[in-house]
Amino acid sequence: MNRKIIGMMILALLAAVALTACGGKDKGPAELAIKAAEEAVSAAKTEAGKIIPDQIAALESALASAKDKLAKGNFQEALAEAQSLVGKAKDVVEAAKAKKDELSQTWTNLSQGIPRMVAAVESRMDILSQAKSLPGNLTAEALEDTKAGLAAAKADWAKAQESFNAGNLHEAVSVANSVKEKAVKAMETLGLPVPAGAKS
Amino acid sequence: EDPWDVKQYHEVKKGETLWKISEKYYGDGSLYKKIFEANRDILKNPDLIKVGQKLHIP
Repeated sequence: MNRKIIGMMILALLAAVALTACGGKDKGPAELAIKAAEEAVSAAKTEAGKIIPDQIAALESALASAKDKLAKGNFQEALAEAQSLVGKAKDVVEAAKAKKDELSQTWTNLSQGIPRMVAAVESRMDILSQAKSLPGNLTAEALEDTKAGLAAAKADWAKAQESFNAGNLHEAVSVANSVKEKAVKAMETLGLPVPAGAKS
Repeated sequence: EDPWDVKQYHEVKKGETLWKISEKYYGDGSLYKKIFEANRDILKNPDLIKVGQKLHIP
């Protein structure tokens, strides 16, 4: 009886040793994979952080999850997650390049049109400021609102250009689009034709 | 070719004058000179505008 119990204890001990050995075997590769994933996510953040910040945040969250599994000794899961993260980081960089091209094109387009829209509104506002009375479809209140809207649009356009010069293309395009909306509203109020480029 | 063309044009109708056109767009006929100056390439005299002419309204 005693021999049987001792035998089972030895078996359990061997199983524990075997499990530990297996875990130890996976720990090294998991740590290496986490290190590679950290580098990949860091590189992706540098490349794409300002362009697709939400996707970078998702990568960082996944990296934190893999690190957590490593810390808890789930080496195989940590290894698998870290390995997949390297591929995902590469995909994010590719997506950022495509997005950057799209944003660059949008910026080029808006930077051609917005100054012309603003100039047209300013020209009409300048003439209307000299008029003894306003055209029938325009009230003095609407004209004042348009004047304020134009000032805001010009200030925002300066901010958009600052963002662009600082390399923050995502922010620049976002602000430029809001400037476009303000300019369109001003043109409509003044009865000016809205250019086709502003309608897309 | 130019999706950002912001110019406004007015096609002259029978009986219209620069004064009337100025009243329509600016609410003040006396600002007709603004339209005349913007169309010096096709207008030689503010009193001589022709039906069908397309005037740029600045």
